Amino acid sequence: MIANFFRLVFRGLRYRSLRSWLTVLGIVIGIMLVVVILAIGNGVQHVIQGQLQMFGSDLVIIYPGKENSPLIGFIAGQKFREQDLTALEKIDGVGFVLATNQGVATVEYRGEKQSTMLHAENWKHYIEILEKSQGIRLKQGRYPTGDDVDEVVVGSKFMSSLFRTPVHIGDEITVKSKHFKVVGFFSDQGEASHNSAIFLSLNQFNILNNSRGASTAIVKVRTGYDLKTVAQEIKFQLGKQDVVRDFAVITPDKINQIVGNVLSVIELMLMIIALVSLLVGGVGIMNTMYTSVLERTKQIGVMKAIGATDEAVLTLFLIEAGMIGIVGGLLGILLGLLSAYGIGAIAASQGVRGLFDIASVDYFGLFALIVFTFIVGVVAGYFPARAGAKLEPAEALRYE
Amino acid sequence: MPLHPGQTKTDLVCGMTVLGLARVVTGTYRGKTYQFCSEQCLTRFRKNPKKYFGPPLLELWNVWKIFKTGGAETQALRGFDLHVWEGDFVAIIGASGSGKSTVLNMIGLLDRPTKGQMFVNGRDMNALAEDDRARLRSRMFGFVFQQYNLIPWLSAYENVILPLIFSDRTVDRKKVEREFDQFGIKQRMTHRPHELSGGEQQRTALLRALANDPEIILGDEPTGNLDSVTGAKILERLIDLNKREKKTLIIVTHDAAIADLADQIIAVKDGKSVQNHQAHRRALTH
Repeated sequence: MIANFFRLVFRGLRYRSLRSWLTVLGIVIGIMLVVVILAIGNGVQHVIQGQLQMFGSDLVIIYPGKENSPLIGFIAGQKFREQDLTALEKIDGVGFVLATNQGVATVEYRGEKQSTMLHAENWKHYIEILEKSQGIRLKQGRYPTGDDVDEVVVGSKFMSSLFRTPVHIGDEITVKSKHFKVVGFFSDQGEASHNSAIFLSLNQFNILNNSRGASTAIVKVRTGYDLKTVAQEIKFQLGKQDVVRDFAVITPDKINQIVGNVLSVIELMLMIIALVSLLVGGVGIMNTMYTSVLERTKQIGVMKAIGATDEAVLTLFLIEAGMIGIVGGLLGILLGLLSAYGIGAIAASQGVRGLFDIASVDYFGLFALIVFTFIVGVVAGYFPARAGAKLEPAEALRYE
Repeated sequence: MPLHPGQTKTDLVCGMTVLGLARVVTGTYRGKTYQFCSEQCLTRFRKNPKKYFGPPLLELWNVWKIFKTGGAETQALRGFDLHVWEGDFVAIIGASGSGKSTVLNMIGLLDRPTKGQMFVNGRDMNALAEDDRARLRSRMFGFVFQQYNLIPWLSAYENVILPLIFSDRTVDRKKVEREFDQFGIKQRMTHRPHELSGGEQQRTALLRALANDPEIILGDEPTGNLDSVTGAKILERLIDLNKREKKTLIIVTHDAAIADLADQIIAVKDGKSVQNHQAHRRALTH
């Protein structure tokens, strides 16, 4: 009997195919959003974790501002005094302290101007962190010979595509009317802002910006020492200076956790948007089903005249609504995965790899989504279906 | 079969209340006198008097149907009485708005009376729950409508097996195909209603009405939308089912020629039955 009911419903849906597809579309959009969020959300987390691993597992980072809101400290432009930072090197377990600064500057090359990031660290320790902790190497060229020479290293994209004419090793660039010689460039680091950045010494950076101190510091911890204990000691020691009152000393684990929290909030927001759109899809089903009941009032009368019980009519309409839900769910998942794949591909072409990976898709979650859309369909279809089922046959037959 | 207060004042054959009629005919049986509304009923009584002391297949007793639309009330039936006997061909005639279709809806369990009672084989229909009425409907009644009322998104074949699906019976495709063949529309089985002619649609509707092998066939102006030749063919099939397969046939019609073929004519006027020959003519012409 139920197989026959499915066949009857299928015939009806095909008969009103345009309307059926439009209703399905309402569900597709909601589900598509959910799938994209699930698929990319995981990817974003993976990408960020990957980037964090680049920091290296033996490093502690210090920056102004509160632990959970690092940006505010940066925007306020608070800076540590260099001597306060170097004093930390006396702490047991600390290898060395690398003071760093970041900024944005306009760079001129052969008459063309572009904005790009500046990363400033003094070279001796920075090279050690790059090569030993982060595994980043120069692709070509060499590092500057010292912190006071007018030499810089740049990212791979800076060389190839930031300017109309590709930059070559030995070329001269101008930053804030000061000339620098490009002496080397890094291999692709997987992050767009790094790939087009300029790396120069902290001394040169401070001269350029007429500034002092450092906005952040990276502390290399000696092997065999516990990162957390060293971090705590740093915190205590740094608490004695009074230039930067609020500062954070964090380990890679902690960053991971903070980023995870931020991402969860964003994910939650997107999920709410997706659920609201699903709700709208559900209302769409309800609307279609009500119209459908109204339109088929006469046929409901006929079906009842030839022996359909209230339950049979109810079942027919519920199957119809459920089918719209399931088809919408399946298509939504398919389109969602395709969109996620597309977004992943676009991101990859921009240098952000691994945003979407089909292997890491949560298939159980997708199955749950299909069940969910079926339920949305049935719930949305229930009231119209019941209204149809309760019609008096003679009254329904009179309906024109 | 409950004995109701009006019994002795009732025409045993057609069920009509004879009390207050201007003209009645009488007949005696085993020393007792009985009143009838017309010669027609008396003649039928004389042929087989015993039959009319048992329970009728269908009985409507003092049935009222009041429709309320907005603030207005329409009394479609006003104390309607009717007996239908097994195997009869009954024609219900009357002018538009007389209430004859409402009578057919009551008989076919498509509507519930506002007041009054209905019995099928002596069973009180008011006491039945909606689903039991639906099941009884599928087992006992086959409907043929003036507008055919086929489901537009289903093929002719699917329309015909619909009653079998609803009563959860197995579908024997070969058997259904044979029936389509007998009705001369086998090659149209897979077509949708809009691809069929009126005659083909009505034959499909008739096949659908017969799918569950019902005891009673109800036709609401079944030939009303057909040309005279096609109409005559459909009518012929209906009468054939009545005569050969002893199915009870109840037809609502405007057509005096069809009514004249019936065993029993019930004329409806202003929601009541009026049963004598003069009344027939009046009901038909007004």
